[in-house]
Amino acid sequence: MIDFIDYLLGGISSGAIIALMALALVLVWRSTRVVNFAQLGQAMFTTYIALTVRELTGSWFLGLIIAMAAGLVVGVIVHFLVIRPVKRLDTSGAIIATFGVLIALEALAAMVWGGDPEAFPPPINNSGYEAFGRIWPFSPYDLLVLASVVFLVLALSVVFTRTNVGLAMRASAFNPEVARLSGVRVNRMLALGWAIAGLVGAVAGVLVAPLSTLSPTSFDIFLVFAFTAAVIGGLDSLVGAVAFGIGTGLVIALVSGYSDSSNAPLVALVLLVLNLLFKPEGVFSHHKARAV
Amino acid sequence: MLRIDALSVNYGAVEALKNVSLDVPPGRVTAVIGANGAGKSTLMRTLAGLEKPLAGRGLFNDEDITGSKPEDIVRMGIALVPEGRSTIPDLTVEENLKLGGMWRTHAQRATSLTRVYALFPVLGERRHLRADTLSGGERQQLAIGRALMTGPQALLLDEPSLGLAPLIVTQILELVEHMARDSGLAVLLVEQNAATALRVAKTGIVLNLGEIVKSGPAREIAQDEELRHAYLGY
Ligand SMILES: Nc1ncnc2c1ncn2[C@@H]1O[C@H](COP(=O)(O)OP(=O)(O)O)[C@@H](O)[C@H]1O
Ligand SMILES: [Mg+2]
Repeated sequence: MIDFIDYLLGGISSGAIIALMALALVLVWRSTRVVNFAQLGQAMFTTYIALTVRELTGSWFLGLIIAMAAGLVVGVIVHFLVIRPVKRLDTSGAIIATFGVLIALEALAAMVWGGDPEAFPPPINNSGYEAFGRIWPFSPYDLLVLASVVFLVLALSVVFTRTNVGLAMRASAFNPEVARLSGVRVNRMLALGWAIAGLVGAVAGVLVAPLSTLSPTSFDIFLVFAFTAAVIGGLDSLVGAVAFGIGTGLVIALVSGYSDSSNAPLVALVLLVLNLLFKPEGVFSHHKARAV
Repeated sequence: MLRIDALSVNYGAVEALKNVSLDVPPGRVTAVIGANGAGKSTLMRTLAGLEKPLAGRGLFNDEDITGSKPEDIVRMGIALVPEGRSTIPDLTVEENLKLGGMWRTHAQRATSLTRVYALFPVLGERRHLRADTLSGGERQQLAIGRALMTGPQALLLDEPSLGLAPLIVTQILELVEHMARDSGLAVLLVEQNAATALRVAKTGIVLNLGEIVKSGPAREIAQDEELRHAYLGY
C-alpha cells in the first residue's frame, strides 16, 4: 500500500508536465486541426536556450522566461513558415511537415549544442520531503513544478474565458467563418494558438529537463505520453488535456513502479488503442455536438 | 449606400451569378427573392467577401469593396447574417454577441449590447446560457444580434425564415424593418419565402438561375401572378 502511495506521489509532477505538453498539442489542434509532432522538438530547442541562458547568467528563472519567449517565437515561425504554406495544399501534408520540423530541430540542436546528454539540474532541492519518520518521493522541486503548472493552467483559462482575445481564439477554432464575419482576424488567432502552444511547451521542457537529462531526442518519449493524453481527452478539450495528462503521468508512475519504466510507452499505446476502439471521439470532445 | 455593379460569380463551371446589378438604399428593406439555387447566398457571400467574383464590383459609400477580406468588410460597416444558424453553439449567448465588433471601443460595444438586449429581450434573459440551448427563432435573433454588435450601416440577411414558424419569421422581419426605418440601416434580405419578404420590403428583386428577371416596388412584385407561378412557385 505504501508502495502504491509512493508511486502516485512520484507521478504527480511528471503528470503535471505531461498535462502541459498535452495542452500544447490541443492548443495547436484547436487552432489549425494539425497534430504538431514537432511540439516537443520545439520544447527541446527552447530548453537548450534556457540551459545556455542559465550557464551565462546563473539564473534558472531567467532561463525559463527566455525559453518561454523563444517558445512563442518558434511557434509563430513554424506556423507561418511551414504550416500555413503547406496547409494551403492539404492537411495531411501539414502533419507530415511537422515531422520534418521535428527532425530539423533535432539536427539543428545537435549542431549547436552537440548530441551528448547534458545535465539540467533542478533550481531547488529535488530530494523528497521527510515526514512521519520516512522520506516521501515528493520534493520541493516537485512542488515548484506543480505550482508552476497550476499557475499556467489557471492563467490560460482566465485568458481563454475572460478576455476578448481568448474569446476570439475560441471562436476562430469553433467556426472560423462566423469569426471572420464578426471582424476577427482569424489567421492571427491561429498564429497566436501556435505561439501560446510554443510557450506552454517551453515551460514543460524546462520543468521536465531536471527529471532526466537534456539531449536533442530526450523529449521524444514524452510525445507518446502527451499525444495519448491529448487524444483520450478529445484533442479539442483543454480540460481533457490537463485531466488526462495528469492521469497518464500517474498510470506511467504505477506501471514503472510495479514493473519497469520501459513498459510505460507500451501501456500508453494500449490506452490509446482502447480509447480509439471504445470512445474514438475522446472523453471531453465537443465534436458530437458540433456535427449537428 | 450599397451598390452591386454587374457582378458575376462562378464556381468552377457553374455560373451562380450573371451580371447582377442592384442598389441597396438606407432606411429600408430590399428583398431578393428566388427559388433554391437561384444564387441568393452567392450574392450575399460575395458581398461579405467570402467568395471572389469573376467580374463586377461591390460599392459601399462609393468605395470599392471587391476583393476585400470579410474581416475588413465588416469593419467598413457591412454585416452578414449567413444562411443557417450562424451562432457558435459552444459559446454562451453573451459571448456570441461579444464576438461581434471586437475592434470597436468599449463604450460603443456596451451601447450596442444594451440595444440588442432591448431589441431581443429573450437574449438578455438567456445571456449566460450556451447558444445550443436556444430555440431556432432565438438563435436567429442571436445571429442578427451578433451582426448588429458590429455597428453596421448595411445588414445582409440570408434566408432568416429557414426552418422557423411563420409567426416568428414575421416578428423578426418586422423588427428588422422598424430598425431600418428608425436608424437608417440599409437591409438586403434574400428569401425563398417570397410572401413574407415582400411584406416588409420596399423593393423586390426576382433572381432566377443567377440572373435578375424582375425588379420593382415590392407590392407590385407580390401581386404579379405570372411572376409568382414562373419563379416563386406559389
Ligand atoms: N461552394 C459551391 N461550389 C459549387 N457550386 C456551388 C457552391 N455554392 C453554390 N453553388 C451553386 O451555385 C448556384 C447558386 O447557389 P446559391 O447561391 O447557394 O443559391 P441560393 O442561395 O439561391 O439557393 C447553385 O447552382 C449551387 O449549386
Ligand atoms: Mg441560399
